[in-house]
Amino acid sequence: MSSATVVQQHSVPQPAQHGKPGGMIRHFNVVTAVILGLVLATIFGFLANRLVPSGATGATFAPVLPDVGFLAILIGWVLGFMIGIGAFIGPFRWLMGRDLTHADAEYLAGKDMGVGRYFRYTTDHKVVGIQYLVGFMVIIGLGGLLAMLIRTELGVTWAGVFSPDSYNTLIGTHGIAMIIAMIIAISGPVGNFIVPIMIGARDMAFPRLNALSFWLLAAAVPCLVASMFAGGIRDGWSVYQPLASQSPPGMIGYQITIIVFAISTGIASVNLMTTILRMRAKGMTWARTPVLVYGIFGAALMGLYAFPFYQYSQILALSDRIFGTSFFNPVEGGSVWLYENLFWLLGHPEVYVILLPSIAVCLELIPVFMRKPLFAMGFAIAGVVGVVIMSGLVWAHHMYMTGWAPFANYPFMLSTEMISIPVGFLVLVAIGTLWRGTAWTRLPLMAVYAVIFNKMIGGVTGIYLSDVPADQFFHGSMFVVAHFHYMLMGAGLFGAMAGIAFYFPKMTGHILDERMGSIGLWTAFAGFQLTFGSMFVAGLQGQPRRVLQFDNLFNISNWLSTIGAYTIGIGMLIFLAAIIFSWRNGKVASGNPWASKSLEWQTPTPVPLENFTVLPVVTERPYDYGVPDPYATAQKTSSDKAGVQ
Amino acid sequence: MKRLLVTVLTLVLGVGLVAGVAAWQIVRGEEPPPLEVKAAGTLDTPQGELPHYELEMTVYPNSSPAVAPPKEPRLLAASLSGQPFYHPSTSIRVPANSAVTIHFRQYDGGGQIYNPFFAKVHGSIDGTMTVNGKKVTEIDQASVGHTFTVHQYPESGQPNLFLSVPLPMVPSNVKTDSNGYPVTPQEISVTFITGEAGTYVWNCEFPCGDLYQEFGGAMQTRGWMAGTFEVV
Amino acid sequence: MAHQTLFDSDEPEAPTNRPAATGRIREWVSRPYARAILILTVVIGFVLLPLAWLILAAMNQTGAPASPIMEEIEKTVFWFTIVSIPMTAFVFAVLVYSLLGWKRISSDDPPMQESPAIRTNRTGTIMWTVVSSVLAFFLVVWGMIELAAITANSYGTIPADQQPGDEQPLIVNVTGQQWVWTFEYPGYDGATTPVLYLEKDRPVYFNVTSKDVIHNFWAVELGVKIDANPGAATQTGVTPTKAGVFNVRCAELCGLHHAYMETTIEVLPKEVFAAAMREMGGGKTS
Repeated sequence: MSSATVVQQHSVPQPAQHGKPGGMIRHFNVVTAVILGLVLATIFGFLANRLVPSGATGATFAPVLPDVGFLAILIGWVLGFMIGIGAFIGPFRWLMGRDLTHADAEYLAGKDMGVGRYFRYTTDHKVVGIQYLVGFMVIIGLGGLLAMLIRTELGVTWAGVFSPDSYNTLIGTHGIAMIIAMIIAISGPVGNFIVPIMIGARDMAFPRLNALSFWLLAAAVPCLVASMFAGGIRDGWSVYQPLASQSPPGMIGYQITIIVFAISTGIASVNLMTTILRMRAKGMTWARTPVLVYGIFGAALMGLYAFPFYQYSQILALSDRIFGTSFFNPVEGGSVWLYENLFWLLGHPEVYVILLPSIAVCLELIPVFMRKPLFAMGFAIAGVVGVVIMSGLVWAHHMYMTGWAPFANYPFMLSTEMISIPVGFLVLVAIGTLWRGTAWTRLPLMAVYAVIFNKMIGGVTGIYLSDVPADQFFHGSMFVVAHFHYMLMGAGLFGAMAGIAFYFPKMTGHILDERMGSIGLWTAFAGFQLTFGSMFVAGLQGQPRRVLQFDNLFNISNWLSTIGAYTIGIGMLIFLAAIIFSWRNGKVASGNPWASKSLEWQTPTPVPLENFTVLPVVTERPYDYGVPDPYATAQKTSSDKAGVQ
Repeated sequence: MKRLLVTVLTLVLGVGLVAGVAAWQIVRGEEPPPLEVKAAGTLDTPQGELPHYELEMTVYPNSSPAVAPPKEPRLLAASLSGQPFYHPSTSIRVPANSAVTIHFRQYDGGGQIYNPFFAKVHGSIDGTMTVNGKKVTEIDQASVGHTFTVHQYPESGQPNLFLSVPLPMVPSNVKTDSNGYPVTPQEISVTFITGEAGTYVWNCEFPCGDLYQEFGGAMQTRGWMAGTFEVV
Repeated sequence: MAHQTLFDSDEPEAPTNRPAATGRIREWVSRPYARAILILTVVIGFVLLPLAWLILAAMNQTGAPASPIMEEIEKTVFWFTIVSIPMTAFVFAVLVYSLLGWKRISSDDPPMQESPAIRTNRTGTIMWTVVSSVLAFFLVVWGMIELAAITANSYGTIPADQQPGDEQPLIVNVTGQQWVWTFEYPGYDGATTPVLYLEKDRPVYFNVTSKDVIHNFWAVELGVKIDANPGAATQTGVTPTKAGVFNVRCAELCGLHHAYMETTIEVLPKEVFAAAMREMGGGKTS
């Protein structure tokens, strides 16, 4: 890095400091948030009880009070929680004319606060990253618990552990919990903690929005859990209308969760995108930006345009339920296809929101462990750009069999097959970087092998599904379930585990225990192959999705799947144990235990509050590892000419 | 050593949580206790003389001090009170290779059924059922109260048993007793032959619940308007 | 450059001492890593090859294929598996060789040894792009031709009264209702059954709808699948070519008894079918 030039400090009029640093927000933390949330929930519930005439029924003979009451309770909870965590303090201060002083901003960022800063509305991106990491682990724990229960039922269907409606609740809640967990899996912890440091910034572009996006998620998840006790989400994670209109009030829990979560994701997307666009260090041209930044930017961009569709579909569904509108009610003139389109306009980009960051973090870590630059980085960028553009053009491949627009099946088949090309570029870059390297066989690198293996299987099975005639057999069968688990869990979750293992030293100051982590990961991997390999077989044999009892023909596949699922559970628990153990008792990590040349590893651990004492200036390409290639033709200074092998 | 401790503790807690929920679910039991048949001699049928059994079920429009409702399915939130249910139980167990007669007492109102197919009786021994003493093959589509429809369980090794009985509604101007139930319910009987052993499910096919198309609520809840049907 | 066979060298080729580039394929193939990759790809490919038949075996366990559409589907699945194997085997081969072909270090400290800074390889990237694009185009073209053929076979988007055909197709109105399938035969006095009766070798045309929520009519062994939407009718069709008993399952979550929304298809020879229809109460009216 070049020597820093100190800029002349001009004196800028500072706002007056009123009281202690931080002001009002000193009094707010997660405890006040929960208390205020519960209080407001109770008050709104009572109000609803009072205002709704007793015995009032809607047009479909459904009593009005449970729906409106539950909605009121959830709105009260979300509002109370956000007030109680101090989310409205910022706008309130602005209205009062009390802008943040420097001391206030430092307080907000958690300066000198100790562990307490993780339980408050803290704006430091590193704190938010850790909060997201813990949030991710909690939500995936919930989803995992439900998965074990699902497989228990499917393994012993004759015992009838769950009745059909309880089982439907299990699968619906499992689905949405896992989707939420996977969306935040890398974009949350790594996107928040690592990306600003990686691009040489002091924090994100909108620190208070950063805190807001996390706490909105924290407010939304209890709504999901509450829904399980209010009748549950019995309609899969896609809650197709009009089936969702027949659900008990638990469905409102889902709708509120999604509406709030969509706001959280939208804010997070804007934050990430602005940070990446505007706050890269001096000298970090797009050619010198690491691929992880591209991946997270792409995911944020897709999330930004896709999530409003999701939110909108749930708002309309809520309106159908509460106000008796008929957007999706065919009897009253609505359209079920409208819902399906709105949903899948989110549904497809969203799986790339899950996949891209995981693949990007794998691409980011391979050069470090192979000590050579990223192979064909231009192709990685082309892959990300291609996926982002095309992900918005393929959604109706989820609707091949709906009869919505049979001639539309042709262009969607075309676009779906075409999207395999940019995704293939990402695999090319990965295997090209793995080629001819001295493998430093640490856990993050070994996990990447699992990711690529799973992604290939997921990708090939996706080819079957993208073909409309073949989909005529596979749609709605367990084959689809196995395919998306291979992509989202096999590539997505294992990629997230690789990324967490890679960035663990920077985020916690300790190295993730190799032995425990590896045992956990590979146990889960073995169980994963058994579970979803057998599930492919069940799908080929003709088992439909979302069924809890089935023909004897599918028994063996399901037994094997259940045994595999328990193995995954054990492996994941061991990995969790590794995280818990290593967080405080693992081997202490230096600032750069992987000898990476990337900016985020040039800071000490723990990373200081403002990341860099002097903002860095970037003068080199990323991934500048390796012995200079003697066979590369003469290179221009700022571009990257092809070398031959 | 500490590693081992943390690992074992995590495993124990994790597995314990899953096992605990599963165990609680099994103990809580989701289906009501089975309704057993009463022996009633033998019956001469087109398939020869078969042992004959009888079963009684009642359909109530809502619960009352006289008739307790079935178990509420949800832990909290909206109860199904005010919705119709089959009494005393929806888990039915009948013997194999016999003739079974079910007597229904139907206390609920009704209306137009969506699918006229279910206004006819299907799967009975001679294609008829007895309504208030008269033998009929179907009832008025616009005056259906509920149906009792047994249908296929996804097990290919068992015989295909399809039985559907429409239960007419009580007229709207009927006299009601102190509990709000009609003084004279509709009385329906149907006789059918069971084949080999098998497990089936049954549900009502008349929209008598709430929410969209009135197929929500009780209609989608085991123990109320849907249940299991076992041929043992 | 001395020739080294795959199993001769006592030390794998180190990442930094690789030979110069060559445009001559024969010389390239003689290099240890090239031969290793080729052999690995072929071996893994052959290991994966039986999948193409095993997949079909799994699909055929209950009597499939029972119609030309199902046969087309199986053909598609078979050939898609075959064409996907080379690329998959190649990727797996690279994964294996990257770990075994060069030195590995498992130390706690970062390794001192660096690898060659290969930032790109024109031949490799171009070949990958070409192969993946050709593969994708093959899949698209195959799929489109296939889809057009199946649509023609199944009258996918053309109403029944505009269908061509020497023999009048059998028209069945399929109604999905929570949670029972009913089948009405307008050509047979509107007889309605819970079990689907079809005539062997006679085209059948389904008008599918739902009375309440979205269901999905899946005639498993016949390869027919279409959503049953409320408020709309969707069409599909097939010609059953195999007599026997097959399955209809619901493939869209529709509530409590979605798992139990199943029934059977009986594909009967002509006379048996006619007799069955008469028994249902429908003499043939059209």
